[in-house]
Amino acid sequence: MVDALAEIHRVLAPGGTLVDARPDSRVPAYAERRKPRGFQRFGVVKTSRLELANDRASDRAITRVVRDGLFKRRRAGRFWHRVPFSDLAELRKYLSEHLRFVHRAEWVVDGATRRRHSKDQFVLRRAVRYELLEALRSPRNSSPARRD
Amino acid sequence: MSRIAWDSPGDLGRHVPAQSSTLRPRPHDELREWGGSALVSGKRVLDLGCGDGRLALGVAALATKVDGIDPDPEAIAAARRNARKAGVRNVRFAAGAAQRLPYPDAAFDLVILSWTL
Repeated sequence: MVDALAEIHRVLAPGGTLVDARPDSRVPAYAERRKPRGFQRFGVVKTSRLELANDRASDRAITRVVRDGLFKRRRAGRFWHRVPFSDLAELRKYLSEHLRFVHRAEWVVDGATRRRHSKDQFVLRRAVRYELLEALRSPRNSSPARRD
Repeated sequence: MSRIAWDSPGDLGRHVPAQSSTLRPRPHDELREWGGSALVSGKRVLDLGCGDGRLALGVAALATKVDGIDPDPEAIAAARRNARKAGVRNVRFAAGAAQRLPYPDAAFDLVILSWTL
């Protein structure tokens, strides 16, 4: 990842901007039922261990190129995004197939409630984090970026 | 910041296709969160890991030019089809890896890694 970020620095004009946006695995996603007004939380969906490890590796790569003087952190934030599903079965199918998440939600409502609303519309509410970094003119450290 | 990036209400309940870009926020929602159109306006933009061109095509109207690159040739073929369908002319797509970008030094003002790193 560090070598890819060094290559991005090469093609960016000095003062140019790198946007790094990705799902925020530091917070869980939520399975929610759509109500006429608003949403009802049905379950919590955690990120898989593999993806947590990948995200940490990405974080380390960014930290490395900032430390090496290729980029300067400018601004960061988070927003929430809802992925819609026709019903609970479709949401469950998505979770079972998607590698980012653990395959089963931790339900916060009982089985009877889930069955009663199984044909309702559902969403997966997930956090997206982003960071804007500025490309600096020349690295403070002249040694080549180490491969991670 | 904790606003919800919403697709149109009509999107709720539709079947979610397998293609991953449909599971992501809309380009203008992402752009708004990152700081708005000024981030892209008049800029030379590289969308790294562009997939089927969702974001590259979404910001093309604002940018001077947009390049999209992705290691998956099928995704690039889909991106080119999508660009033709949308009539977008200032976007180019290429298959390639982030570790060896086929562009000269300082070729871009903005590089976007959207769900890529």
